[in-house]
Amino acid sequence: MRFFNLWRQICSIFILLYIGLSAPVAAQEPIRVGSNFLASGLDPSSLDPTKGSNGWALVSYGVGENLYTIDKEGKLQPELASAATRNDDLNWTITLKPDRFFADGTPVTAAALASGFANTMEKTPVASSTGGMLSFEALDALNLRVTTQKPVPLIQALFAEWPMIAYKLTDEGEAIYTGPYKVVDFKADSHLELAANEYFDGAQNRSPVIIRRFADAQAMALAYQAGELDLAFRLPFEIAPRLSADPDLIIKSFPVAYQYMAFINTTLAPFDDVRLRQAIDSAINRAELIAMLGGGDVATGAFAPYFSFSAREPRPTDLARAEALLDAAGWLKGADGVRTKDGQKLQLLIATYNASDLIAMLPLLRAQLARVGIEAQTQVFENVPQISATEGINIVVLAQNTAPTGDPAFVMDSMFRTGAALNHAHYASAEFDAIIDKFATSGDVEERAQIARQAQEKLFEDVPVSFLVSPVWYVGLSPRLKNYQPWGSDYHILRADIGEK
Amino acid sequence: MRLLKLAFQSILALVVISLIAFTIITKMPSDPVHIAIHLWNLPADDATILRLRSEWGLEGSLGRRYLHWLTGFVQGDWGRSFRTGEAVFDEFMTRLPISLLLGFSGLILAFIFAVPLGFFSALRPNGIADRLCVFLSVIVQTIPGFLLGLILLWWLGASLRLLRPFANDASAFVLPIIIMALHSLAFFSRIYRHDMIEASRRPYFYTALAKGLSRRQALLSHTHHSALYALVAAIRSQAGWVIGSTATMEVLFNLPGISQFLVQSIGARDQNVLQAYVMVVALWMLLMNFCVHSAMMMLEPRLKAR
Repeated sequence: MRFFNLWRQICSIFILLYIGLSAPVAAQEPIRVGSNFLASGLDPSSLDPTKGSNGWALVSYGVGENLYTIDKEGKLQPELASAATRNDDLNWTITLKPDRFFADGTPVTAAALASGFANTMEKTPVASSTGGMLSFEALDALNLRVTTQKPVPLIQALFAEWPMIAYKLTDEGEAIYTGPYKVVDFKADSHLELAANEYFDGAQNRSPVIIRRFADAQAMALAYQAGELDLAFRLPFEIAPRLSADPDLIIKSFPVAYQYMAFINTTLAPFDDVRLRQAIDSAINRAELIAMLGGGDVATGAFAPYFSFSAREPRPTDLARAEALLDAAGWLKGADGVRTKDGQKLQLLIATYNASDLIAMLPLLRAQLARVGIEAQTQVFENVPQISATEGINIVVLAQNTAPTGDPAFVMDSMFRTGAALNHAHYASAEFDAIIDKFATSGDVEERAQIARQAQEKLFEDVPVSFLVSPVWYVGLSPRLKNYQPWGSDYHILRADIGEK
Repeated sequence: MRLLKLAFQSILALVVISLIAFTIITKMPSDPVHIAIHLWNLPADDATILRLRSEWGLEGSLGRRYLHWLTGFVQGDWGRSFRTGEAVFDEFMTRLPISLLLGFSGLILAFIFAVPLGFFSALRPNGIADRLCVFLSVIVQTIPGFLLGLILLWWLGASLRLLRPFANDASAFVLPIIIMALHSLAFFSRIYRHDMIEASRRPYFYTALAKGLSRRQALLSHTHHSALYALVAAIRSQAGWVIGSTATMEVLFNLPGISQFLVQSIGARDQNVLQAYVMVVALWMLLMNFCVHSAMMMLEPRLKAR
């Protein structure tokens, strides 16, 4: 009996606890953001901008800024800088905007930024990938001389790269930023609390923000549906249409710079024959992929259509051309519908990594290739390095931000140049390399766009890659943020114009 | 002497577990350095690879690295997370209370409710309580915790908004603890009921009835003790299940416990985190084993003499 009395008492305590815990919290509500990525900081008190991908996250969440940035149309624009002048091959003078302040109220000066950039160059290897080691000298309060190790024709793009976040270092080594928000609290993999930076214009109109990292996108979607989030950034494509049907929820989609591409291994027989790669490219029906994904555009090339340097025409589907190319290459259809040559079946292996939209495309790609007599197997890997380390893969389906700095040179150089680290197709073309070599000598934006289009034409011809879809991403908004317009992929999630009003 | 023997066996088990885990984790496919290079867009050159390897202590033979890790582990230096850069020990100490709260609360709640549910099931077999007990068992055995969690999240949180499962406060723990408790409750109540029914078939139970006790009184006086003993023994087997279930709940409800940290670390091959998790789980199992053993000895003092 004593046990049952005790049981009654414990039950009462739990009921009281439940009532207490479930009571709504009355406090000034900050903007609640859910996201699936958050800075991986080494030091929670300082969010060291030289570690991991912190520079990226800090800019994306409005804490930091760059000298240059890209706008919603994908164009390079000055941010903290007002102009960049090339003095000679290796020397530039950057002029800063006046009346800009760090979050501690001190003015943004060339000397303060120079110390920050020098710290970045010393500690972040990726910062030197475009221009080699950079050195900085403050000429006066607003003019900064930048000396590069190798010629950089468009330094504006270099200063829009995420590792080149602008900050100053305090005597204690803490980084102070210039963005519309400042960090109040941070816990890696958990949350980031922000407050308005009072030294940034319009601070009085800006609410505090709590960003919570969700390991599972479905959980984030449910949190949004439960009314616990004002902004759910990147909802899964498969549930966005269902949520859109709910009149109480505001779902917006926006085009992103991440392009879905299928790299075809150019060294693996029989697909070392360009006719077979061209056949694959022609056989893929991008409209079907888009219908399955619930949104997006047919890819025109390596870049999202909103970039000025993207190719203009959507990539075509032409089954008759695909069949003719395969016939010409000697691969003939058998009774089972699969093509053979010298008794060998035309088979290939398509691989991708753990991303739901890419995985969802695999069965469709397989079916589309089967229409022209190519038998495809599919395999999902945990990550891209695992795919790279595996032999025998013919096609790798990836998503890649191809113009993170608003300049086309990066992707051409890192993914298609002979021997490049991310050249998943093992593509080697002296002619293509010669085209993209021109990026090194031209600083004119229109000229660079022409080079990019020329390079894409060459890729269309050689088909080391089949450009599939320019996708859209989805965000969920509460009525409070109904004016929020997402753009800039995951590089500009929180901006000064959060759109609260 | 007996305690010393138990301590020695536990330490030996921990060392063997740590060695096996260390070997498996370091031999997992995919190199953490290459994953980091891809994730963080670092230049894939030899200098970067060497720098990261040296920074993360991935150089040297397996044996040397294991000894280095083991020495640090016993001194409270569990290394740094490759991914977040934070000290793994500090990270675990911050997150462990959340995981323990989930695990212990689920077990304790289940234990508390299992006794009356099991009792009334045994009192009236095929009665309402017994049918409820069977229904609960069938539900939790056939619907995985993750799916049950999703359904309840959608229904109670998103659709009816009766609960705030993602609120940034303690109320976020209500639903995951209930789900965890439900599974153990079904298991525990069946154990308790089964033992009571078994005991009620013994001669001493009939003697108690013959002495004029009602079935309720006889069950409470003469079968409760042995059923409680069986219940405590069942906690041991549930302790292992609780670990997996805690991981599911932490991911589903976005609770920053150690299992969520583990899930996020697997993809990055964050070896120090994976190793620490294995050790914490091993310690949890040893601790639960010790607690259950002690509780059983309290309930049945004759065990001490054996």
